Amino acid sequence: MTGVEFPPASRLAQALDKDRPPAEWIRSLRARFPTEAAIDRLLTRKMERRSGPGYTPVPLAALVAGVEALLRAQLEGPFKLGEARWLSGGASKLQMAFTLEWERPGAGREKTPMVLRMEPADSIVTTSRLREFQLLRAFEGVVPVPRVHWCDEQADYLPYPALVYEFSEGVTKPSSAAGGVSGTGIRFPAELRARLAPQFIGHLAAIHGRDYRTADLSAFDVPAAGTQCAQWGVNWWDRVWEEDCDEDVPLMRLASAWLRRNLPRLEQPCIVHSDYRAGNFLFTEHDGRITALLDWELGRIGDRHQDLAWTTNRAFGSMDEANRNFLVCGLLPESQFFEAYEQASGHRMNPKSLHWHKVYNNYWLAILLLATSYRIARNGKTHQDVLVTWLISLGYMVMDDMRQQIERGC
Amino acid sequence: MQLRSEIQIASMIKAMKDVVIPAVDGDNRLAVEQAQLVVGMLSLMAHQLPLQFRFDRDELQRLLAYTQGLTELCSADRALGEAVRQLAGCRAAGAAALERCAGDPAQLNAAIRELRQAAGALVSAAADSSDEAAYRQVESAVLELSKEQLLRDRSLVLPQGWEPDPTAVPPIETLLDAGTG
Repeated sequence: MTGVEFPPASRLAQALDKDRPPAEWIRSLRARFPTEAAIDRLLTRKMERRSGPGYTPVPLAALVAGVEALLRAQLEGPFKLGEARWLSGGASKLQMAFTLEWERPGAGREKTPMVLRMEPADSIVTTSRLREFQLLRAFEGVVPVPRVHWCDEQADYLPYPALVYEFSEGVTKPSSAAGGVSGTGIRFPAELRARLAPQFIGHLAAIHGRDYRTADLSAFDVPAAGTQCAQWGVNWWDRVWEEDCDEDVPLMRLASAWLRRNLPRLEQPCIVHSDYRAGNFLFTEHDGRITALLDWELGRIGDRHQDLAWTTNRAFGSMDEANRNFLVCGLLPESQFFEAYEQASGHRMNPKSLHWHKVYNNYWLAILLLATSYRIARNGKTHQDVLVTWLISLGYMVMDDMRQQIERGC
Repeated sequence: MQLRSEIQIASMIKAMKDVVIPAVDGDNRLAVEQAQLVVGMLSLMAHQLPLQFRFDRDELQRLLAYTQGLTELCSADRALGEAVRQLAGCRAAGAAALERCAGDPAQLNAAIRELRQAAGALVSAAADSSDEAAYRQVESAVLELSKEQLLRDRSLVLPQGWEPDPTAVPPIETLLDAGTG
């Protein structure tokens, strides 16, 4: 901890100390906001651990020892870890690259570049490594994803829950391009845009086309037909707002009410990535080929409109060279994006559901930025508190976007 | 505004201590010393910022009392007439400023937070009320208020570079000048 003293909470909030949440309050939140079982367990665990210690730096050697322990439990033959180093990128998880000399089943002895992806003490978004593991497995051979090997869901071997997958070649933005932190505001040159955009849209259509019933997705609940999917989603984020927010925002209360009054019906459930955007895919610069789709941690079985609304969010796009047209994820104008998606997927969009999901996505993005980022940085819970603090203020642009969307929907 | 100096300073100190200082070359003594000074200076800022307003107000209060005595001591000396008159003018302005600064910034912030919370609770309660027409009016009022406030929030953090088109957001000085701020 830093020794910095925070000002006292207002009189109205003084009765409840969110940094030391009482068990009764946690129970009441669970009852008020029913959602997927796995999400409920994760949020409950987060709250039960909140008053515990902050994040303290973990030396690379400790992570190497943890991975070795995990692999000893998983591999029969001899293996050797080497070239361990930190990876940057992402606002939520710690990542360590390393090489593994091992007997790959069916391939023999080889040296494979790997990545360890591990949670800190708390994260800008509380998610399950098992769900991420299952999604990566489900999409092997469907779209480019890192090949995932092992999951330490309960932190039996590593300091915090983690998974291990193969290292993927590529970059998230052109080495010459400007761009903000965590993949925001990336600008791609026109030639690269022409190469990346069709792949980007085609992969999204393929994700939505993957039959979730034929994959092992035991960590997920499938919403019933009707409004349950949307209801679960609003409950999930209303609960996080209650758990994490410091300064209340009347517009957020209004947005929650608006979402509940306009719940869309789910016509056809599909796997939703939930964070499909620039910054979350890798590509090789020499040929403009997408090599890996990353960050599946927020994925769920839900409504395809959630991804379409997310990908087109203003926070992840940029203006073209003439500063005239807004480009979705810095790649292409929104109308072209939707047209190409409909062609690739064979699915027509429902404008009303798309609009609802735009409000919904901005709602939960604003919660992550304004509430969770603040809460975890205040409690010193991550390996990069300075980054999550930097991100807090992005919440205002996101919230203003949401305000305009609600106005248009009124 | 959620992004306040307390959380910014705390996260900067943690980044310096956990990540930057351990990575500084120990043989580069200038870099080691300055990295530690950065932490020291940030810690000092965290200590000073919540007190700065009260500190300045306290000084003004004592200066007014002290200069009152000084004025009385020197007012009989005709050679000091002009200087005493100038001091009297400054004292009057200082006294007026002190009167206007009766509250603390912390009180201002606490009042904002309480109003936000109470207004939010009212919006949630109104959403559950059966009077649809009344709720529509509440909705319009919240959207209008939020429009003005969010413009100021976005403008205050403009240097961070989030806005795809920063020219669409007026400078914060202009927005504050237009209001009572």
